[in-house]
Amino acid sequence: MVATRMATLVDSENGVINPSIFSDQEIYQQELEQIFARCWLFLCHETQIPNPGDFLTTYMGEDPVLVVRDRSGKIGAFLNICRHRGNRLCRADDGNAAAFICAYHGWAFGNDGALQAVPNLQDAYYGELDQSKWGLIPVAQLDSYKGLVYATFDRDAPPLLDYLGNATWYLDVYFDRREGGVEFIGGVQKWTIPVNWKVPAENFGGDGYHTSWSHLSAVTNGFGGNYRTRATGGSIVSPGNGHGVIGLDPSVPSDPPVPEILAYEEQIRDEVVKRLGDRINQITPSAATIFPNMSMLRSIARIHRTWQPKGPDKTEVRSAVFVDKAAPPEIKDAFRLAAIRSFGPSGSFEQDDMDNWEGCSMAGRGVVTRRHELNMSMGLGHAPYNEDLLGWASEHRYSESNHRAFYGRWAQLMDSRGWPK
Amino acid sequence: MRDDTIREVEQFLYREARLLDARRFDDWLDTLTDDVKYWMPLRSNRYPAYSKAISILDGSRYEEGELSREDELAIMDEDKDSLTRRIRRLDSGMAWAEDPPSRTRHFVSNIEVEPGQREAELRVYSNFIMYRTRGETEEDFYVGSREDVLRRENGQLKVAYRKVVLDQTVLLAKNVSNFF
Repeated sequence: MVATRMATLVDSENGVINPSIFSDQEIYQQELEQIFARCWLFLCHETQIPNPGDFLTTYMGEDPVLVVRDRSGKIGAFLNICRHRGNRLCRADDGNAAAFICAYHGWAFGNDGALQAVPNLQDAYYGELDQSKWGLIPVAQLDSYKGLVYATFDRDAPPLLDYLGNATWYLDVYFDRREGGVEFIGGVQKWTIPVNWKVPAENFGGDGYHTSWSHLSAVTNGFGGNYRTRATGGSIVSPGNGHGVIGLDPSVPSDPPVPEILAYEEQIRDEVVKRLGDRINQITPSAATIFPNMSMLRSIARIHRTWQPKGPDKTEVRSAVFVDKAAPPEIKDAFRLAAIRSFGPSGSFEQDDMDNWEGCSMAGRGVVTRRHELNMSMGLGHAPYNEDLLGWASEHRYSESNHRAFYGRWAQLMDSRGWPK
Repeated sequence: MRDDTIREVEQFLYREARLLDARRFDDWLDTLTDDVKYWMPLRSNRYPAYSKAISILDGSRYEEGELSREDELAIMDEDKDSLTRRIRRLDSGMAWAEDPPSRTRHFVSNIEVEPGQREAELRVYSNFIMYRTRGETEEDFYVGSREDVLRRENGQLKVAYRKVVLDQTVLLAKNVSNFF
C-alpha cells in the first residue's frame, strides 16, 4: 500500500506543491511502479526502425526495452533481458538483427522474441527445457498513433486512443499536418541532467511563462525570431489525463526563424488548415507534454523528447528532430540545423533550462525547505473548459493550469491501484 | 612535415585553448575563418558487422559506423554566424548556463600535422580533455578528438573546419555551453 498519500503533497485545488516530490527516494520508487509500470510510454517513431530486422534499445521507467521490427514488419517490444541469468541482451543503441545472442552463455532469441537456441540443450539440459516458455518478456500492450509507437506494462491500462483522449488532435498538429506525416531524422541526442523528470515534463507541458525571461538572451540574439516578445493571446490547454499544451496566438510568429522555413510554412498553410481543420486558426500549439514523460516542440525547433527517469535527481534526455515527410530535402536540413542550434545539450535555449531545472530539483533536499510549499497558483480558477480547444483552456496566455492538471493526474495515479477516470 | 610548421600548429592550438579558458571569445572567433564549419557529431553504440552478439537480417543496409552523418542530428553544427551569436548571447547577462561562468581548462595533445587538400591548408589531428567546474561542486570532463583543417590567411593560421568527436555516447554533462 502506498505509504504517503500524494494528494497531501500536491494540492491542485489551491495551487501548491511540496518540493519533496522532486527528491524523495521512496516517492521515486512509487513512481516507477505507479506511473512508469502502468502508463503508455513512448518507444520510438516508426521511421526510426523502418525495415524488417531494425531495432533500437530504450527504457520504460528504469526497465531496459528492446524494440524490434520482425521479418513480417510487425513492431514488438520486450524487456532487454536474457531469460537465463538476466544479463542485458542487446548492448547496441540501434541496428538490424534477425536474432540477438546473449554474451554470457549464448542463448539466442529471434527478433520476434522467441528463444531459438540454447547451447548444450540436449546434453546439459537433457532436452528437457521448454523453449516456448522462455522467450523474451513482451510489453503488455503495444500500439501506435500517427507513427508514434507506445507501449505499457499494464494489461489493464485503457487503450492508447482513450489514454491520449483529446490530445490526439494536438499530436496531429506536430506529427500529421501533411500527407505522409513526419519522419524522425537520423540520430538521437542523449544526455543526463541532474534533474527530476517531472520538472522538464511540466515545463514543456505548460510553462509559457519562463520563455520571456529564461530565454530572452537566445531570443534577442536571433535564435528564436520574434517568438513571444510581444504580449498577445494564446492559451495553456489541458486536454485531460495530465497531458498539456502551450498554445500561442496564431498571429505570433513561432516557426524557426529561418527564411526558407518561414516561406515553406506559408506555402503549405492551406494544406495544413485543410488537414487539421479550423481549430488551427484559433491556436498554435508550441510545446506540449504527453503524460508522463514525452514532450515535443514546434516553435523555434521541431523536436521530440522523452525524459527517462534515472533516479529522483537524474534524468536521461533523449531528443530527436521530426520533419514533414513531404518537405523538400533543403527544408528538412534547415529544421535539423534550427534544432541543433536552439535545443539539445548545446542549444542556445535549452542549456539555460537545464541549469534552472537543476536548481528546482534540488529544492526538496533540505529538510526545512520541505516544510514549505511551492507556488503553482497562477491563473487559479481561470481555465474553463473550452469546447473549441478540446480542453481546459486558460484565459491568459500564461497560466499554471497545466501544472495543476499534470500533478493532479500524477497524484491520482500514485494513490490508486486501479485506473482512475 | 617541417618541424617549424608542426611547432607553429602546436602554438596555434595552445593559444586557442588559452583564449577559450580566459573567456576571450571574441579573440577566439578571430582564429576561425569566415567560412568555418564547426561540427560535433553524435556517437552511438553499434555492433560491428562481424559481432556474434547479433545475426544481421539485412546486411545490405547495416550501418556499423558510430558517428552520425553530416545530414543527421549532431551536438553542434555551426557556422561563423551561429558561433558569433552564441558568443553575443554570453554578453547578455541572461545566459544562465554561463552565469556565473564556468571555469574551463583545455588540454590539447597528440597533435599530428599533415598536408591539406589545398596548398594553404593543413590537416591537423589532436586529442583533448576539457575540464569544467562551475558553481560549488559541478564537475565535467569532456574527452575526445578533433580533426581540423587549418588555413593560412594573410600569414595567420585559422581554423576552416573542425570536427569534434566526444568519446561518450550518452553525455554525462548536463549541457554543452563551452567550446572545444
